[in-house]
Amino acid sequence: MKKVQESLFIQSRKALLKRLLAQLLESYAYVSVLATDSRSKTYSVSKRNMGAGESSIGTARGFVVKVSDGKHYGEYSFNQLAEGDLDRICGQVRELMESSDRLLPEGLAENEFRVPPEEEKEFQGSTDYEIDPEEMGADAILEHLSRIKEKGLAVSDAILDCHVNCAYQKYTKLFLSREKDMEQNVMWMTGAISFAASRGEEIKDYYMSYSNLGGAEVLSRMEADVETGAGITLELLKSQPMVPGEYDCVCSPEVTGMIVHEAFGHGVEMDMFVKKRAQAEKFVGEYVASELVTMHDGAGAASETATYFFDDEGTMAHDTVVIEKGILKRGISDLQSALTLGTEPTGNGRRESFRRKAYTRMTNTFFEGGKDTKEEMIASIDYGFLLENPDSGMEDPKNWGIQCMVNIAREIKDGKLTGRIFSPIVLTGYVPDLLKSISMMSAEVRLDGGGMCGKGYKEWVKVSDGGPYIKARIRLG
Amino acid sequence: MYGPREESMQGDSTERKDEILTEKIRAVLGQLDIELYQIVESVSESVECFFIRKKLDLKRRTALTDYGVTVFRPFEKEGKRMLGASAVNLHPGMDEEEMRAVLQDAYEAAALVCNPYYELNGGRRQEPIPSESDFAGRSLEESVRLMVEALYASDTQEEVFLNSAEVFGKHMWRRIVNSCGVDVSYETYSVSGEYVVQCISPQDVETYHSFSYRDADAEGLRRDVEEALAMTRARAEAVRAPKAGEYAILLSGKHMETLLSYYLSRSGTSMVYQKYSNYQIGAPVQGEDIQGDALTIELKAKEPYSIEGIPMKDRVLMEEGVLKTLHGGNRFAYYMGIEPTGNYKCISSPTGSRTLAELKARPYLHIVSFSDFQMDDFSGHFGGEIRLAFLYDGERVTPVTGGSVNGSILDAQGHMVFSKERYRDENYDGPYAVRIEGVKVAGEQGCFGE
Repeated sequence: MKKVQESLFIQSRKALLKRLLAQLLESYAYVSVLATDSRSKTYSVSKRNMGAGESSIGTARGFVVKVSDGKHYGEYSFNQLAEGDLDRICGQVRELMESSDRLLPEGLAENEFRVPPEEEKEFQGSTDYEIDPEEMGADAILEHLSRIKEKGLAVSDAILDCHVNCAYQKYTKLFLSREKDMEQNVMWMTGAISFAASRGEEIKDYYMSYSNLGGAEVLSRMEADVETGAGITLELLKSQPMVPGEYDCVCSPEVTGMIVHEAFGHGVEMDMFVKKRAQAEKFVGEYVASELVTMHDGAGAASETATYFFDDEGTMAHDTVVIEKGILKRGISDLQSALTLGTEPTGNGRRESFRRKAYTRMTNTFFEGGKDTKEEMIASIDYGFLLENPDSGMEDPKNWGIQCMVNIAREIKDGKLTGRIFSPIVLTGYVPDLLKSISMMSAEVRLDGGGMCGKGYKEWVKVSDGGPYIKARIRLG
Repeated sequence: MYGPREESMQGDSTERKDEILTEKIRAVLGQLDIELYQIVESVSESVECFFIRKKLDLKRRTALTDYGVTVFRPFEKEGKRMLGASAVNLHPGMDEEEMRAVLQDAYEAAALVCNPYYELNGGRRQEPIPSESDFAGRSLEESVRLMVEALYASDTQEEVFLNSAEVFGKHMWRRIVNSCGVDVSYETYSVSGEYVVQCISPQDVETYHSFSYRDADAEGLRRDVEEALAMTRARAEAVRAPKAGEYAILLSGKHMETLLSYYLSRSGTSMVYQKYSNYQIGAPVQGEDIQGDALTIELKAKEPYSIEGIPMKDRVLMEEGVLKTLHGGNRFAYYMGIEPTGNYKCISSPTGSRTLAELKARPYLHIVSFSDFQMDDFSGHFGGEIRLAFLYDGERVTPVTGGSVNGSILDAQGHMVFSKERYRDENYDGPYAVRIEGVKVAGEQGCFGE
């Protein structure tokens, strides 16, 4: 295994950033500087299209300064830093901190916060990888993806397209404050295969996702599933519209992961507690799920695409047990929310990039496994569905609702799969009801880090989620 | 050239002298013998406010300069002409050595991207186009303050109020150049954001709203917030989900843009070329047998140029259900032998044949708020979880919450009836509402088909 190397750019700017920090500390009670240098590349092949280049979302180089004058906070994000810029930057920060009167109409005021207590912390860490995608090279990567594509297209003439892609991000983050000097170098890589087949005007699609905290070693896992994926896509051509109702369901680990993420992950983001927007706040210490359920979130809880050593506010990564045997224990939080609530931050303060504010965000979110098998779960159902292939979800922490779009529901009757498929499915419900109905959980646990998470419709961060197969009672439509 | 290089963008005494790299990038491209390229330079600043209730929780500013460079490389593979491309991001402060390495790496990757040959769009240098927005005459702070004032103007009640809000004022200059003579630039202003309205009685509920303005429409924002406060009150009254079944549904407001985006997406050249869409100009894309209102949709240009520097103009997308235009960027248009139009996000449509009152004359389920209303451009399915809907059973209107809708525009498009009333948003100007019969709703109880 090799270690991800530090960015030369960050290395070259560190002394200048320390001078900027020192200059700002002359005027402000709290100052932090986060410097980011990240590079993200994507590669894709399909029947009629190829691509290779940098992702504009994942490739970023810049800085964000956060200051407190003892009462109020302000942040300044910029991406130009050279000798001679320090006075200008400090001037911008000063103007920002003096702007409240100009910004606020009558009737509005500014919140006051104490300065966060800090302990001295010096840290340097790098994640591991086996194969550097940059060393593997675009040629080898595209050849690998093309081979998978050809295999997928060869399954049947009815396959309209097989789109294979991969992406990686390699980043260095430097966090400086009066007491902290922390640096981390991280790399993750993901891959995906998606199929399309047409049924007249309607296109049915199916995707498979792969991810690892590491490098191009993830690509070797992709080829084995191609024919299965193509086969499922062809099955979808025979799918029927879902019949709305409440059913006993077995959820695949990917669907479990989406439920965990949307229903409970978002529901315990403590910036929502600050705003009184999360019902979960009232349930700390109470049963919110079946006793089978233990749930984690943390950049330190698993080795996946949302793993890091410290968050964007300089808090070390945690493994937070959110639910323990059905009881809600605690939420996850960023630094400012923790200050307001009088709790400890959990290392979940994340920015989409240096350009954006930090919010409480999930990282690796999952249920622990149980003791049952998928086969036992299916056998226990008189009439219901096996849910697979989640598409997207939306949180509702206030009312503890959940919306998940799922691609496949396989009919179960008298304990057996009938072969009928329904698609697409809208999964909704009241979270505690859903979680309390969980009656079986498999030992097998899978996490997937192929997706991104938004706070509503913006602020996109990399996350992973997952868990075991679960059996639960769910409303489908 | 254009504004931000010569003076501070905010007109204050702290000048921002951005290092403008475009000419340096061109020089490096020349040194590497990279003949075909495109450079998009964006210089932006923003002022941002984050509120909890009526208190400012955090204030932010950004000052950013970004360069997106795409290099193109012609080559032959198995006797066929190809044009590979690879895009990279360059940053202020990059020295020539690093820039050269990144561009060289991209050029080598482009040699592997086996896309059939196409020509880049040509052009010549055009005068920069300043924004005509009435935000342009104000500082960003003034613009943000104006819209914050509008946002909170109606927040005067005890039981229903703004729980939180985020407001972003942004100013940007964008310049697009390519190796075929394109050299265009334009300016934009916007104030956008989101807010959550909370009502605490008779039950504690919330609704989410977003906004985006290119002009200082303070009155428009104030009005939208008033409606949001009323909607949230209604949600607080809703306790039950509708019963599972088939309903005539009404969709309205923001959901209209999402629903009709199906036609925008399916008529894109990237979808058509890759055979994900079978749309053809002259085809009755709304179906052969339209019992309801036949759609006419116009594509509206929001910016003067596309990301490739193609001059954008308004175009008719469909007329009475028949497709008139395929739209998209340079590459797929070249393959299809049609004019490249640039990519559109904004549509407008004439209003429909019935008043809202007429649409509501018979039983309906009017969903005014979803958790996340989605339209799947591939399958044509639309739906989402109901956060607030009004159910009319022929006698009375009841607010309901919970359950979900799952419909198909392919089933619906032949009998959609649109309202005469109009709704306008950032990317939509058209009928306020549509009535669609026979849509499946998952609700309170009942398992059909067991």
